[in-house]
Amino acid sequence: MSQTTKGALGPYRVIDLTAEIGALSTMVLAGLGADVIRVEPPAGHPTRQRGPMLREDTTSSLYWAQMNAGKRSITLDLEDEADRERLRGLCETADFLFESDAPGNMAALGLGYEDLRDRAPQLIYVSITPFGQSGPKSMWAASDLIGHVSGGLSSLVGDPDRAPLRPSVEQAYNITALNAGSAAMIALHARHLTGRGQHVDVSMQAAMANTLGNARLYYEMDGIITERAGGARAFADRATRIIYPCADGYVAFVRVPASMIRLHKWMTAEGAEPRFDAERWASFAIAGNTLPTEDEIAELEAEIEQFFAAHGAQALYESGQHFNVMICPVNTMQDIVDSPQLNARAFFAEVDDPALGRLMVPGAPLKMSATPWRTRTAPMPGQHSLEVLEDRTQAQPIGD
Amino acid sequence: MTSSDVPGSHVFDGIRIADFAWVGVGPNATMQMAFHGAEVIRVESSRRPDTFRSSGPRPDGDGSLDASAYFAKFNRGKRSVAINLAHPRGAEVARRLIASADIVTESFAPGFMERIGLSYDEVRKIKPDVIMCSMSMEGQTGPHAKFRGFGLTLQATAGVTGVTGWPDRPPVGTGVAYTDWVATHVAIIGILAALDHRRRTGEGQYVDLSQLEASTLVLDAGVMDAANTGRIAQPLGNRDLRHAPHGVYPCADDHTGCDRWVAIAVTNDDQWRRLALIMDRQDWLESEQLCDATGRLSAQDDLDEGISRWTSTQTVAEVEQLLQAVGVPAHRASNVRDAHEDPQLAHRNHWWTSDHAVIGEMSYETPAWRLSETPPPMPAPSPLLGEDSEYVYRELCGYSEEEFQQLIVDGVVE
Repeated sequence: MSQTTKGALGPYRVIDLTAEIGALSTMVLAGLGADVIRVEPPAGHPTRQRGPMLREDTTSSLYWAQMNAGKRSITLDLEDEADRERLRGLCETADFLFESDAPGNMAALGLGYEDLRDRAPQLIYVSITPFGQSGPKSMWAASDLIGHVSGGLSSLVGDPDRAPLRPSVEQAYNITALNAGSAAMIALHARHLTGRGQHVDVSMQAAMANTLGNARLYYEMDGIITERAGGARAFADRATRIIYPCADGYVAFVRVPASMIRLHKWMTAEGAEPRFDAERWASFAIAGNTLPTEDEIAELEAEIEQFFAAHGAQALYESGQHFNVMICPVNTMQDIVDSPQLNARAFFAEVDDPALGRLMVPGAPLKMSATPWRTRTAPMPGQHSLEVLEDRTQAQPIGD
Repeated sequence: MTSSDVPGSHVFDGIRIADFAWVGVGPNATMQMAFHGAEVIRVESSRRPDTFRSSGPRPDGDGSLDASAYFAKFNRGKRSVAINLAHPRGAEVARRLIASADIVTESFAPGFMERIGLSYDEVRKIKPDVIMCSMSMEGQTGPHAKFRGFGLTLQATAGVTGVTGWPDRPPVGTGVAYTDWVATHVAIIGILAALDHRRRTGEGQYVDLSQLEASTLVLDAGVMDAANTGRIAQPLGNRDLRHAPHGVYPCADDHTGCDRWVAIAVTNDDQWRRLALIMDRQDWLESEQLCDATGRLSAQDDLDEGISRWTSTQTVAEVEQLLQAVGVPAHRASNVRDAHEDPQLAHRNHWWTSDHAVIGEMSYETPAWRLSETPPPMPAPSPLLGEDSEYVYRELCGYSEEEFQQLIVDGVVE
């Protein structure tokens, strides 16, 4: 079926000047076949020292290997005008530039959107920052944690008797990066109409504010401030428990009325002799007026807990889903590596990294039939400087 | 703030999406294209309404399928057609709609589209260059392809829940349909990349999006670490493996009726010195141990205790002001009211007001991006269920008025 092996974005060149907040966006474009050129300082990009490391050192970064997979690398000293001019020249050959400096910093180097617009009118200039290019907080100092709290998500995460939380792997940065990817693709289609690039201004705070589900809507309509509810789904002023312990860890299970009859059948089949009245529980509508009492809920949850405690998470997943019960294991990173589903779909791939040797890496986040995702390795610092800076004619996807 | 006459604002003019997807991921993805001019037609049925049409919030006492603001949030700028796909003639209507479409999206359990004769292989016979994107929980193939779930539970399978919590307590997860907000963007990027490929080559394709795989992509290097070193990322509360101090600390009551917290994240030694100066902690400034991250990481309990004591005497606004003035990352842990009233989000016009026939005036989120040259016009409110049925059956599917009326009588248009 395939007419090309270059990937869906094969003709396009991306200049990548991002820090942690944006690295994933250009990695996805590289996976889709774009020629992504990582511009590093002569000493190498700072995130080459960002853990986790493969070995007991400060140079074998697995983070770098993942977030820069499929990119080429050139080194330029942006403190030096001659190198800045090389970068401007390279922009003339590019379709996208991604940067994540504080607003104004790129312009101070003569590398802002306004500086490049006339010289590289085709360039789609994507700026990714914590709060956006202008406004009262645009110059505020930030981090991944600040992204979680400034958009409001943390207020919905964590136990009520302790501080609001963020996930312990950096999600605000990565969600923001994916938003930037969407925006860049829309700008690419706009260019087909207008013939010109434009400035795309992506805000981490705004990206995280869009993860609140319906909680903000409940405030605007009903004045309800939804609060974090531990291992539960906070739903306006009510919460429904999600996390339950099991024999070897935890599972996620939502007690929705529609699944109570199936839960009863499943427990019966496993010999648990459930005592709860499935028909009665199934009759509680989610948004209806008739609701179970606190005591009834506690009694039911104790019964479910007892059942889950007798089985392992993966076994509960397999057997519960067999009965059409929405239950999921609380997977560790190792469970994900071992996942029969991910492995059946060949999600992981082995690659030979030029710096780290044989590596197992996560692969395609989506399967495209005509233009498959390309799983490749991250570059060495300046590995492609000569070929990129000497050949300024057009995008040259690597590996073809 | 935007106007519909900006040249090029209708980026996707002439692109039609037959949208069979429902709930979060699919509708959120296609809405971004609707904002920019794509004609998105939600295929719906009152016999199996979108879960979000039954959820809240909704105006007092209105239990109708058109009153949910949660549905409204994800379906602005779209049309809605009622097609009962369980009816023998429903699939025929769907086939005619697909013949007029450029993109088909769906998020049924794998196998459903095949059962009604709308698998990709069938769909491309109707429309050879179609782009079809399926967005299921775990992909179209594999032993768990038909396993059920939604964003609230899938985040557990995807590894997010397990790293969200305190080290001494069970994990909690994010309390929202977290993976939805991730998979949405992988879907948009994939569909628009496929559309670009088609523009250049004329070739359509099938996109099999597994929400699990898309969400695994954002686990930072956690999966890489486990796969290559056997280390397993653990929940750390708000702590960080590289930076300290790094946490969310209690603040004084500011008479908002809510408990108040402020996040402080020191990410380099310079910020550390400024924090200590502002806190007037000469002992911290003089400590050799605390001058680098390694030393501070080993002293986190003491640092957190000292910072908590300091923040407890001040409001969130005071801490933000003091620390941001000297460039130390600090921000209140915004609750939904703070987000709603945030001056920075207001500066970006982040919340767009929409006047819906049943819900009335409400504000809804806009994209996290702003486009300098092609800002989208204000979208129409979300459609009532089946609001555009006559247009779709008559204009797009080519049924005569008589045929349309007969399909209503036969129970297809519901």
